[in-house]
Amino acid sequence: MGDQLKLMIMKDLLRLKTSLKEEIENILNEQIKVEAHSSAIYLAMSSWCDDQGLDFSAGFFEKQAEEERNHMMKIFKYVNDRGGRAISPEIQNIPKDFESFRSVFELALEQEMHVTQQFNNIAEQCMKHKDFVTFQFLQWFLEEQVEEEYVARRILDMFDVIGEEGTGRWEIDKHVQKVSYSED
Amino acid sequence: MCTNNNLQQLYKTEIGAFYQCSLKNCYWLEFAGEWHPLKVSDFLFFKKEIDSINLLSMLEDPSRTSDLAIIQSYRAKRCFLLNVHEILQLRELLSAARFMIELNSLLHERLQQQLI
Repeated sequence: MGDQLKLMIMKDLLRLKTSLKEEIENILNEQIKVEAHSSAIYLAMSSWCDDQGLDFSAGFFEKQAEEERNHMMKIFKYVNDRGGRAISPEIQNIPKDFESFRSVFELALEQEMHVTQQFNNIAEQCMKHKDFVTFQFLQWFLEEQVEEEYVARRILDMFDVIGEEGTGRWEIDKHVQKVSYSED
Repeated sequence: MCTNNNLQQLYKTEIGAFYQCSLKNCYWLEFAGEWHPLKVSDFLFFKKEIDSINLLSMLEDPSRTSDLAIIQSYRAKRCFLLNVHEILQLRELLSAARFMIELNSLLHERLQQQLI
């Protein structure tokens, strides 16, 4: 019976080409776009902070922009390495102006929480499609998001602790780049 | 061109058919009387191009230019001029072909499990 079945089916050209299911490839390409979008938003924030004279925050966001781009390239390379087709993303709707210094960091935290949710969705899809290789690939990103959210929250806490009045903005700006995450 | 002996039909409709050539590891699309070879990645990309055509905007736009969609596909190595009906027919053919390809993969997977 097994031999007869084997004669009925054709060479599996699809799997020779790629190990990624179409749904997983699509969702990873969507995430490439999300990371690129994040990177562009951080760059806009950097420019705004620079314009406001908030040098350390400008540097912080410039570094964040670079990190998000690196995340994007990691996923991009993974899709291509697995035989899929990574799509270079189109980026739209990047704000040019922000309401306030605090609102910039609130938006940064919202952005990171959105990215975390996206990765959770991808992980769910990987489980659904039994793609544990991609699920394993995602672990690094899931751990990274813990750090990203922590840093964004801690900086927002500084606005409550230090306040923006007087030299507050200057103090917050000075301390932004010192915020770091440690698992211990 | 791959010979008939090497071609295995995956799906056939009134307007065309889709074949696999396991000798040259490629697909063949027969549509509106013409034959188009497609590598695996070409087929996947071409299908996405056809699926992404906005039919609603074509139907809503009263201008004559929206009666036809021009698909200049490098993947299929020619230019397609398609009306709404043809787009739907081509979508049906490509989707069905994709389904058969996935089914084939699934059968391979199950067979592998049986053999081990």
